Amino acid sequence: MFFFILTNNNSNKMFFLFILFFSTLISISSNSWFGCWIGLEINLLSFIPLISNSKNLLSVETSLKYFLTQSLASINFLFMILIKFSLLKNFDMNNIISIMMNSSLLMKMGSAPFHFWFPNIVEGLSWMNNFMLMTWQKISPMILLSYYFNKNFLIFMIIMNLIIGSLGGLNQTSLRKLLAFSSINNLGWMIFSIMISENLWLFYFLIYSMMIFMMISLFFLMNMYFMNQLFINNMNFFIKMNLLINFLSLGGLPPFMGFMPKWIIINFLLINKFYFLTFIFMMTSLIIIYYYIRIIYSSFMFNYFKMKWMNLFMKNNMFLINLSSFISISSMILSTFIFM
Amino acid sequence: MCFNSLFFLFFFMLINFFFLVYFIMNGLSVFFEWENVTFNSMSIVMSILLDWMSLLFMMFVSLISSVVIFYSKSYMNSELNLNRFIILVLMFVFSMVLLIISPNLISILLGWDGLGLISYCLVIYYQNLKSYNAGMLTALSNRIGDVMILMVICWVMNYGSWNYIFYFDFMKNDYVMFIISFMIIIAAMTKSAQIPFSSWLPAAMAAPTPVSALVHSSTLVTAGVYLLIRFNYLLIDMFFFKVLLFLSILTMFMSGISANYEFDLKKIIALSTLSQLGLMMSILSLGFPDIAFFHLLTHSMFKALLFMCAGVIIHMMNDIQDIRYMGGLSLYIPLTSLCLNISNLSLCGIPFLSGFYSKDLILEMVSFNSFNLMVFILFYLSTGLTVFYTFRLIMYVMINDFNLMMIYNLYDEDYIMLNSMFVLLFMSLLSGSFLSWFIFSYPYMIYLPFNLKLMVIYVSILGSILGFMVSNMSIYSLNKLLMSYNLSSFLCLMWFMPNLSTYGLSYIYLNFSQILFKNIDMGWSEIYSGKGIFNILKNYSVFYNVYQMNNFKIYLFSFILYFMILFIFFFI
Repeated sequence: MFFFILTNNNSNKMFFLFILFFSTLISISSNSWFGCWIGLEINLLSFIPLISNSKNLLSVETSLKYFLTQSLASINFLFMILIKFSLLKNFDMNNIISIMMNSSLLMKMGSAPFHFWFPNIVEGLSWMNNFMLMTWQKISPMILLSYYFNKNFLIFMIIMNLIIGSLGGLNQTSLRKLLAFSSINNLGWMIFSIMISENLWLFYFLIYSMMIFMMISLFFLMNMYFMNQLFINNMNFFIKMNLLINFLSLGGLPPFMGFMPKWIIINFLLINKFYFLTFIFMMTSLIIIYYYIRIIYSSFMFNYFKMKWMNLFMKNNMFLINLSSFISISSMILSTFIFM
Repeated sequence: MCFNSLFFLFFFMLINFFFLVYFIMNGLSVFFEWENVTFNSMSIVMSILLDWMSLLFMMFVSLISSVVIFYSKSYMNSELNLNRFIILVLMFVFSMVLLIISPNLISILLGWDGLGLISYCLVIYYQNLKSYNAGMLTALSNRIGDVMILMVICWVMNYGSWNYIFYFDFMKNDYVMFIISFMIIIAAMTKSAQIPFSSWLPAAMAAPTPVSALVHSSTLVTAGVYLLIRFNYLLIDMFFFKVLLFLSILTMFMSGISANYEFDLKKIIALSTLSQLGLMMSILSLGFPDIAFFHLLTHSMFKALLFMCAGVIIHMMNDIQDIRYMGGLSLYIPLTSLCLNISNLSLCGIPFLSGFYSKDLILEMVSFNSFNLMVFILFYLSTGLTVFYTFRLIMYVMINDFNLMMIYNLYDEDYIMLNSMFVLLFMSLLSGSFLSWFIFSYPYMIYLPFNLKLMVIYVSILGSILGFMVSNMSIYSLNKLLMSYNLSSFLCLMWFMPNLSTYGLSYIYLNFSQILFKNIDMGWSEIYSGKGIFNILKNYSVFYNVYQMNNFKIYLFSFILYFMILFIFFFI
């Protein structure tokens, strides 16, 4: 990301990136709700310049949409904070105000049922901006969610997240939208993990963002935005393997890295007898893995054509790609050696 | 290769003969044992028992196999891979010898499984579809017996070692012995092709003729009888022995009838082997193991000779095996028809040939001891049927008019085949008397009324007259078989029992599995799990897309509407 910014001679983007990071820190470390809101606003304001590029009409439209939704959500959030301060005197989390606060935060995150802007906007952004949107922008709403959440409402939202994330992605051919729906699905897992413990959420989030980073950087290097661009024989074997492994890891297949956080959450679910919820988690994961594997076996085993006019020559970047493959494959197994 | 194995096996036979004479004269038997492994309470040993029975059987087996290998040098001389064939036959002989000398269930299993496997390899030697089917039927029927012996090995582990010989006197009334004896009887029934498992023996005639001569006349099929002879002390009071009597008598009778309807030369001989096996099993289950052994040995001599003569005839008729195409061959191949005649008459039990000593002794023992009427009738009836089909065979092959199918191929001077047949001829003439003086230290006491004594002769004469009458075919004769089609097909096709092993076993299951496959795998299971679920999900996804692809302001407005509804419902 930094590399990209540095090469494009955009130092003001660096400035806004710094403010973006800072705003999240403001939001999560404030001790009043007002400070949280301030952080969210600064987040919005600093992200807009990052994604808008006045030379591209799609980019402009995307940034406008993003601005509208996020500002609506922020307004709502502020209003609910004020109502909470004026109406409620005790700290009881399972009431209507918490539903409304959580709704506005869910809209900021792009979680169901307020997720409709998310695939649209993701479609209009470049890969690195997508990466920011999918990972960093989720941190502060999540943590704010964990401060005051309504359990029943959130579990319902989790189920909706999972189902929409899995069903919406079945019919997509654009890689960005695919990752968007996968991100919605993973949001379901993350919201549940933040209801369990923040530490667990941190673990899930880190692994998720690492996986997303590996995939997005791969797509970025190959400049691939659509699924039919995957069907190329000229790709280096290691790149293909890396893509395969990352897709499977994102889907949560053991023994790859992405299985580990899901395993821990399932463990918690089963120990505490959340059987129905486990079933929904499992089935939607199955659908997601189905369409990942559909992509993989179509692109790497069946549809196989060589293009004469495009040679993907990637010899210089191989170290990071190999490293990321290694991490994806072995980290779950190596992590068991940590505690020896 | 043939010469070497001939000399080696003949030499082996002479060694056995020498030791046999020495052991019988001095009443010796030798038991070697090598202990391999002993763990907890079981000991795995390799043991060899050399008493007169095993030496005698080994002598006969090595004689027949040496002669057969020499015969196959000329019979299969157009075979490119003759060495392969000889090696298979030698491995067969080795497994048979291992079976004979072992008093230990593990080495019996080695020999038994080896016999089954190598007989499969030999039956499928001509690689065509019929041999393949026959080999499958042979191997799988024999496999049932192998499984039974494996289970016996499991059960005998109750006793501490697998040397079954030591346990007969001490454990007779034990429940475990009851189960062991049941399984041993079933194993012997599969190997010797008694009634439920009798379909493989006529089918195994798809093998080359030397294989039939060695395997299906004297060694493989008598392995079951030999096993029961060894286990005889255990089995003699058991109920299943009476069941075995019933089944073996029926086998004898059924194969005698079926042989009368057959027109394939080798199948007639196979069914006569089956009939004689039934005879051996039935006299064994009546309680006379030494007579059974006696008949086993004499039968092996003349049956091997009979198969070899059939092989010569088949070669001569340019691979036609149907007896309706043969006739009048006695004029043109005198030496072969000499061997054929002597072996056939020995099979019938004509006085003072080798078959007479054993068969007549059996029939007189049946008459002398009081058994029930069915046993008596079926024994004598089967003897008559033996004579019937033998005379029918002789009439068709040798006495009827010459059918002019082959003229130039009538070549009787193949001295390789003839010399091997002469050896067996000599033995089949003399072995009866030789064995009866050798095995029985005192003769059996038999005292019968006159007509009962001559019953054998009455039945034989009746059978020969019938055989003569049935084989009078001319241009004008109707095929009377078609008039009694149901009865004839019932009797000819071995009472439809092969369907138990072939069509009945496979058709029902294959049909059912086809129904399951078409209806479930390619039918309902596609809707409920394969494509059906995919279609449902796809429809859901398409339905969801309708909601996704909307105007942006509709989405923003819906958010506001949501909050308004929340406000209204919960604050008023």
